[in-house]
Amino acid sequence: MLHMKNLSKVYRTHMIETHALRGFDIHVKEGEFVTVTGPSGSGKTTFLNIAGLLEEFNGGEYLLDGVNVHGLDDNARSKLRNEKLGFIFQGFNLIPDLNLFDNVDVPLRYRGFPAAERKRRIEQALTQVGLASRMRHYPAELSGGQQQRVAIARALAGSPRLLLADEPTGNLDTHMARGVMELLEEINAAGTTILMVTHDPELATRAQRNVHIIDGQVSDLVRKMPTLFAHDANAAAAAGNPA
Amino acid sequence: MFQYYFMLGLRSLRRNPVLTGLMVLTLAVGVAAAISTLTILHMMSGNPIPEKSNRLLVPLIDNGPLSRYTPGEMPEDNQLSYRDAVNFLQSGQGVRRTAVFGIVGGIEPGRSDLGTLQVDGLATTSDYFPMFQVPFLHGNAWAAEQDKATANVVVLSRRMSEKVFGKENPVGRHVRMLNEDFEVIGVLGEWNPVPRYTHLINGNGGTMGGKDDIFIPFQTAIRLHLNNSGSMTCNGDVTPGYQGILDSECTWIQFWFEMKSAADRVRLQDYLDGYTREQHRFSRFVRQNVNRLFDVMQWMDHLHVVSEDGPISTWLAFGFLLLCLVNTVGLLLAKFSVRAGEVGVRRALGASRAEVFKQFLIEAAVVGLAGGILGLAFSSAALWLLGRQSERYAALAHMDWSMLAATFVLAIAASVLAGLLPTWRACQVTPAMQLKSQ
Repeated sequence: MLHMKNLSKVYRTHMIETHALRGFDIHVKEGEFVTVTGPSGSGKTTFLNIAGLLEEFNGGEYLLDGVNVHGLDDNARSKLRNEKLGFIFQGFNLIPDLNLFDNVDVPLRYRGFPAAERKRRIEQALTQVGLASRMRHYPAELSGGQQQRVAIARALAGSPRLLLADEPTGNLDTHMARGVMELLEEINAAGTTILMVTHDPELATRAQRNVHIIDGQVSDLVRKMPTLFAHDANAAAAAGNPA
Repeated sequence: MFQYYFMLGLRSLRRNPVLTGLMVLTLAVGVAAAISTLTILHMMSGNPIPEKSNRLLVPLIDNGPLSRYTPGEMPEDNQLSYRDAVNFLQSGQGVRRTAVFGIVGGIEPGRSDLGTLQVDGLATTSDYFPMFQVPFLHGNAWAAEQDKATANVVVLSRRMSEKVFGKENPVGRHVRMLNEDFEVIGVLGEWNPVPRYTHLINGNGGTMGGKDDIFIPFQTAIRLHLNNSGSMTCNGDVTPGYQGILDSECTWIQFWFEMKSAADRVRLQDYLDGYTREQHRFSRFVRQNVNRLFDVMQWMDHLHVVSEDGPISTWLAFGFLLLCLVNTVGLLLAKFSVRAGEVGVRRALGASRAEVFKQFLIEAAVVGLAGGILGLAFSSAALWLLGRQSERYAALAHMDWSMLAATFVLAIAASVLAGLLPTWRACQVTPAMQLKSQ
């Protein structure tokens, strides 16, 4: 699904060069739930931005669902982003002027679906996150957890192959975070590949695989047993994986 | 996507209502200033009879004396003498010919509640009405034979007909005017061309204002010894009396030929050249100037119907619009800059830079549309106020469909122009940076 080999990313100013990623290798299989951890400034977000085609890279190879993204123009990258990727952000990033229906509609508009198809997908996605009854509400009328659910519905509506989540529970309390995490696990169980950046070691262990990044390089890969995919801390502990 | 972006544009008007209001107001004021002056210019310089303006020709010949004549210098005279006018009427050139001069006279309505009315009008020939497509409410123009017979017939303006006869059809009734009895044979429909291109030289309201209420046959006016209400140029000796003027080289009559096609202009020019050669042989003409022909637009240009102030005022108004545009650019920059986060989200969700560009440009156009609507109200108010200043402006200060369309085209074009830089800036947003910073 996602294959990066020897990827590098350098930020240059007239004074200094910062190597955000160097010799970065990762391979995410279809249907996997992979968490990405690492200290601040390690390159997690840069990796996610490059994976999401929001940033260019300087060297190496990146294949997204078999498509070599190097050298694609803005239109091709936007189309690929729209068709294959879904985004969930820490700050939800809903458009405040649009109600929930119209927020979820945004990626579908760029896909060019007819109105009836868009309506069906929006209602299905909002139903999946449990907010179908509030589709005419505006983001400001919802709690943080609900807003993140809308963002998830927006990401899901286009049936993406890969869901990219950047600390999706970072702005939520424990209860809401648990709910969002459970929802992501359900989505993954339904077949969608998920790549999630998190600071939370507990959440990291709930995925199938955790990738640890230090100084722009993958430093450690921690594999988990499939049984740990359930949200049972005891089961995780029994399997001998760090919590 | 246009419909979607238009809908977003309408919603965007509600965002930052103060900023939006300022933009709409700025555009509206600029557009209103430009459109108001443009309307006046348009009315002054528009083609009053586009169907045949290039087939209606005014002849000018130089019948002046050798004294005070510098060879090659074109005469300032823009009318014909009675002798030339009569010769041209009898020339058979073109499909129609008409001579025109202004008259002033009194109408006695024969009613106890109305005294004698002083009215302005025209002495002309029967061809005048079909030539200039003059509409009739009742009756018709007189026949060519009535011209020759110097018949006492009159065509009234609708205004004068209603003043004297009320709402009834007065055709066939008689009215006492110019100290004789006249039979009313026609009443005009609404007809008040601006500029008054058929007789731009007149003593009744000038090129833009004034209304003619009576129309009588040319030869009837001559029989009644009616003087021209307008200018007359005399370069030689004139025998005292009305007949003296008719026999003189004084110029005071405006003349029009209507040709079958614009190509017949060459034939008319040949006729004029032949005519002046003949007059030279008779020693009546002594100057060697070129005979000139003017179609309607050339004639208005020749007589400077559009004053030089008109275009200058319009340029100034458009300069003001430019200032308003610069302000709008600033306001749009402020409005769009706070939406960097939204741009980031849309880019992440699949919008290309081109789509963002379209969305924001259409939003700018929606602001222009709102500015156009308000600008139209401002323009109408400005023209109404202008129309109240004088009769001249009252005739000009009317917005037609083309100016109405121009208001919206100008407003939208201006806002799109003003939106180019802010929109381009919005497209440069780095989505990754915006998404993290939200």
